[in-house]
Amino acid sequence: MSAIKPMPPVAIEKPKAKVWNGARAIAETVKVADVDVIAAYPIRPYTGIMNALASMIADGEFTADIIVADSEHSQFEVVKHASAVGARVFAGSSGVGLAFAAEPIIVTALSQLPVVAAIGTRALDDPGNFGMEWSDALMFRDFGWLISWAKTVQEAADMTLVAYRVAEDRRVLLPHFIALDGAAITHVATPVVPVTKQQATEFLPPYRPPYRIDPQDGPVTKAQHIAPSLIGPEERKTIDVAQKRSKQVIAEAWKDFAKYTGREYTPFLETIGMEDAEFALIGMGAYMKDLELVASRLRSKGHKVGTVRLRYVRPFPAEELINALGGVKAAGVIEFGYSFGSPFGTGSLYHEVATSLYEADAKPTLLDFLFLGGREPTVEHFTQLAEKVIESAHKKPQKKTYWLTLRGEDI
Amino acid sequence: MSSQVAFKNIKEIPPVDYYTSGRRTCAGCGPALGYRIISKAAGPNTIFIGPTGCMYVANAHQFLTSPYAVPWHHTQLGGGGAAAIGVASALRTLMLKGKRKLEDINVVVMGGDGAMADIGFSGLSMGLSYDYQRLLYIIYDNEAYMNTGVQASSTTPWGATTTFTPAGKVKPIGNTRLKKNMALVAAAHPKVKYVATATLWPPLDLMNKVHRALNAGGPTLIHVLLPCPKGWFTNPSETVDLSRLAVETGMWVLWESIEGQFKLNYRPKPRKHVREYLAPQGRFSHLKDEDMEKIDKMIEEEWKFWEESAKLGRLVVPY
Repeated sequence: MSAIKPMPPVAIEKPKAKVWNGARAIAETVKVADVDVIAAYPIRPYTGIMNALASMIADGEFTADIIVADSEHSQFEVVKHASAVGARVFAGSSGVGLAFAAEPIIVTALSQLPVVAAIGTRALDDPGNFGMEWSDALMFRDFGWLISWAKTVQEAADMTLVAYRVAEDRRVLLPHFIALDGAAITHVATPVVPVTKQQATEFLPPYRPPYRIDPQDGPVTKAQHIAPSLIGPEERKTIDVAQKRSKQVIAEAWKDFAKYTGREYTPFLETIGMEDAEFALIGMGAYMKDLELVASRLRSKGHKVGTVRLRYVRPFPAEELINALGGVKAAGVIEFGYSFGSPFGTGSLYHEVATSLYEADAKPTLLDFLFLGGREPTVEHFTQLAEKVIESAHKKPQKKTYWLTLRGEDI
Repeated sequence: MSSQVAFKNIKEIPPVDYYTSGRRTCAGCGPALGYRIISKAAGPNTIFIGPTGCMYVANAHQFLTSPYAVPWHHTQLGGGGAAAIGVASALRTLMLKGKRKLEDINVVVMGGDGAMADIGFSGLSMGLSYDYQRLLYIIYDNEAYMNTGVQASSTTPWGATTTFTPAGKVKPIGNTRLKKNMALVAAAHPKVKYVATATLWPPLDLMNKVHRALNAGGPTLIHVLLPCPKGWFTNPSETVDLSRLAVETGMWVLWESIEGQFKLNYRPKPRKHVREYLAPQGRFSHLKDEDMEKIDKMIEEEWKFWEESAKLGRLVVPY
């Protein structure tokens, strides 16, 4: 259970930026991360990652086995068991594909296998919908997976490498999802500074599972059926402790990542303009870029608006969030996931934020702004909602939740 | 290649067991006996994958003991096909990349009929389409979901009563679907090197088939009929006898397909009437004489195709 302490480089490698979409950028990181086994099954919008990896393997850019699975269920079974044998693995999916794979996905965490998988977030059926929603990724909030959320293609590429380091750390040993907002990250090309092979090799130690399924390691029996009275609660507590420990490991990993690549990230929250903010816009993912633009425009008009972006939903950075929102009069949660029939008809992220703020000394007015069903939001929507937040500080809002892209009455 | 006989007589069976004590299977459990024989034949350099089923639940124990003296990993009920591909892929890739010593390691999936013929059918088919060596899918077929309390699967024979297909006043037959022939399905996969059927009789047949499969140089499947006293309502002491009767009545056909070459392993001469196999089993006790005649007739018809296949040296689909 010793901490990983790699030696930082003397001089940081600065490769030239490439123009890559999110799918390609993640594939490039998977390539340099020395991944051994990849399992693919197509579903939009994540598929491009596998297309890119398949091309790289076909062209001999790196050595890995890519399994073309018969379903998402098989896909996640393949990587789970390859990981148990000692291979570094990669998988991914979107929307209903994740729902189909729910069983092996859940088991992977409870078996403590450090699978890394990408989610190109997508609205769930029915009807079939290529739009972006968070409901697919947030389905897996409760089972032990670490879940990080990227704002940019660059961050998605970097998060992929850090994910392996955190997931495989002996203090954690949990699988890791990297959530990418469908289309907004997966399909949008931007300049990206690649993680180099040398950086990846130095930053990421080889994967060594503690109890391999391999005759070399003796007769290990894993995931045997048990009587619940034997180790039921203790096994669950083990996952719980691993989640709690992961916070320190994540913080260490991002600090080290900066030493190797020169790219600095605060581990859990990205806050902009929050030092003196009276109003906060809280969210995740690619649309935070637009919310940051809206906040800066409002600032130039004299409104003290800041943004708080969550980089991880699991582990959820509750203390950091309470600290960031200290002194704020009103805040809005901007989100693309929902829970039908939930308290006050609020979204999935709202529940997490509200639960955290319940422990805060001063509670700001908290509003919920929902973008559901995949209809594309605009800067105008974000401006409207920010104005609602500002207004709520001196005028009691009529309601808590707003469906912003909805046509017709928001009842 | 693969018609070799590794175990010529009972004295040559290795004394070491890799499936041992520390489990709570029923008295007279056919699958447990099968597991013991299969693991003996596979030897120490083997990884077992256990999809959910009797050989998962009943092989666990209240005292956290394990019956496996080789690595064993549970996989989900429908995950057997894919899990084995994950293991085989990891081993091959790690060896290829120099991360693990080069070595022959067997990957054996012990999947029940539900795990392989029903919920894991698609994954099994995927697994059989790859070219990993020393990859063996065993279907331990006790002809129903036994550990959940005897529910019909797609390999439950016509006329068997199960809790989902009970024989009643309006539906007197019980299960009216015909048993799915998984060995035929497996043989339809072009990469498959070896397909066989087996049961607990004749002695050594199953062991030699496991040996041939693991040395066949590609993915392989053995469909093994294994009697279940609990679900068949039979006397635990009759398990092996029932295996023998299944073969001697022609109800269970022993054959192999070695790289597409068909070989009929046993011809019952004379074939016993299927009544001898059905009568000792409580699950068939509701059947009338005419129903048993019907089953016997079906066997008679089907055997024409097995004889035809034997003559041609390649499979002829009997349905």
